[in-house]
Amino acid sequence: MRRLFSSIYKEFLVLIRDRAGLAILFVMPLVLIIIMTIIQDATFKTVTEVDISMILVNNDKDSLGEAISEGLYSSKFFNIVEEIDGEKITKELAEELVAKGEYKIGIIIPERATEAIRGNVNALINKSFKSFNIPGVKQRTKKSSINVTIFIDPVTSPSFKNMVMSSLKEFTSQLEIEMFFKNFSLALTQLMPNQKPIEFESFETIKYQEIYASTTGDYKLPNSVQHNVPAWTMFAMFFIVLPMAGNIIKEREEGSAFRLKTMPGSYVTVMFSKIFVFLGVAFLQFILMLLVGVYIMPLIGLPMLEIGPHKIALAVMAIASGLAATGYGVAVGTIATTHEQAATFGAVSIIIFAALGGIWVPVYVMPPLMRVLSQFSPLQWGLNGFYDILLRGGDLVVVLAETSKLLIFFVLMLVIALVYNNYNKTK
Amino acid sequence: MHENQHIIELKKLTKYYKGSSIPAIDNISLNINKGEIYGLLGPNGAGKTTTISILCGLFGPTSGNVFIDGMEFQNSAEKIKNIIGVVPQEIALYPSLTARENLNFFGHMYGLKGKQLKNRIDECLELFGLEKNANRRIKTFSGGMKRRINIIAGILHKPKIIYLDEPTVGVDVQSRNVILEHLRNLNSDGTSIIYTSHYMEEAENLCSRVAIIDMGKVITEGKPKDLINSKEEYTDLESIFLNITGRALRDE
Repeated sequence: MRRLFSSIYKEFLVLIRDRAGLAILFVMPLVLIIIMTIIQDATFKTVTEVDISMILVNNDKDSLGEAISEGLYSSKFFNIVEEIDGEKITKELAEELVAKGEYKIGIIIPERATEAIRGNVNALINKSFKSFNIPGVKQRTKKSSINVTIFIDPVTSPSFKNMVMSSLKEFTSQLEIEMFFKNFSLALTQLMPNQKPIEFESFETIKYQEIYASTTGDYKLPNSVQHNVPAWTMFAMFFIVLPMAGNIIKEREEGSAFRLKTMPGSYVTVMFSKIFVFLGVAFLQFILMLLVGVYIMPLIGLPMLEIGPHKIALAVMAIASGLAATGYGVAVGTIATTHEQAATFGAVSIIIFAALGGIWVPVYVMPPLMRVLSQFSPLQWGLNGFYDILLRGGDLVVVLAETSKLLIFFVLMLVIALVYNNYNKTK
Repeated sequence: MHENQHIIELKKLTKYYKGSSIPAIDNISLNINKGEIYGLLGPNGAGKTTTISILCGLFGPTSGNVFIDGMEFQNSAEKIKNIIGVVPQEIALYPSLTARENLNFFGHMYGLKGKQLKNRIDECLELFGLEKNANRRIKTFSGGMKRRINIIAGILHKPKIIYLDEPTVGVDVQSRNVILEHLRNLNSDGTSIIYTSHYMEEAENLCSRVAIIDMGKVITEGKPKDLINSKEEYTDLESIFLNITGRALRDE
């Protein structure tokens, strides 16, 4: 035990004497988490509130143009632009501006669009009241169609495009219903002169109630901070693999590892002392990142991270994630023979783990094969565990499976390192 | 475990590295007596480092046996590691730690503790003229100072056997004298020393016996004076070395 304590103390001294390395270990993850949360915040705002500029060319000047224009203006999603330098935007200019990427979307409502809808509505009513020959209703039976042109910047995300399209369809169908109802009412008053015209009244028959599901009844409203702090914390914690592997390789290059191998005590003692110290670093990183989420993010206009009541579960998840990361660091440091190998393999493998783990793209939108592969990413286990606690209100029991997987990964990495180390002895 | 006058016995020791058809050491048998300073001499790639590595227990031989004070690594690795001290050719220290912090760590790894460890560190630092630099970081030391600390780290626990791999490489004359003087002192206290060097004059003056190895085989072995007197054309150890191993350049 004395050997372990002495080795831990030595690792601690080596770590704190490397001021630049220490600053990188703590400052870089904080910079990463703040920048990524600010960037990702926009993604969350597209469903709540964001200011995306869009061109509207309203050539209709009638009900449809008004309905679309009113709908878009009243929505908080878009910043509508109809003129540039006091000049009305034309269809050609709209296409050019969208093609240049200056605007994400341009909507062109053609002339007489409302008239076309009105004609179609009348045709439908005529068909229904054909045998009554109502004098007030125009005798038109031929249907016509109009094209509302939408220019889309190729870089626009499909989800944003779909949101615009569904908004437009909603405005159009509302107008069609209203027109149909008014003309239908008019036709009825023609048939029954004593009947007063019925006023159109919009009524929402089916209401949608949004409830974020939770087994414990304790959930947090999803926001960029609640999503990004756990995601990027996992990512940053795993990057401890690089300094850790570097530490092992440096010890080997400087010859201390050679000396240690000739001394009593085992390789395991030396590795456990490294794991202990770097686990401490990973846990401190975690605490700092939570503190940034709670205290710093609100200062820069982001939502505050809500840690919730399950702090022990959070600490256990952080320790399990830290162990998985440090175990991986020991394996990479033992197997890699140069700093270049460790840095390249370590960094790229973490990025792959992160991609599979759903740090950038949620696992549920991945192709089936990737969804299967994601089940083998320690970052996916860690991220799921943190989401269970921070978004779904889960406690220690809920994250037991994820914690166990991370601990098994840690043990597996140590076994790989130990086997490789023993294999080297037989060379 | 059996008692005899040999502190180290190598019996028909052969080592093939994986993937190599040429043995790094080939059927070497050597006996090193208790209290000897034994020199392992040879050109680059002769098999010195492989022999020392096997003697340290870093890896085992392909065939043959090694007895260290009557024990074998297969069943007494920890006991053997407690009685050997290794001074590698590299400065195997932590540059960001001070001399005392380094020695404290390595001392603890050898099982020393408390006042005993502190006194031993102070004693060694004084012996090697480094007591005033105990609290300086290793990275600020000169080459000679680093070499001396490198030796102290290997002898702190008063081992029965010390392996020294090129202990005086790249040091100034003063540091070399201090190092050699203390190796003699350690030896006079009963410590057996296995020593490799390229400095033939140094080996001639220091070693009680030497073995010249080349291509993994022991070419000749004996007391330096006996070897020099064995042929008329031999004037010193270097002339024997060049005569036996040739003048062609060797790479690792």
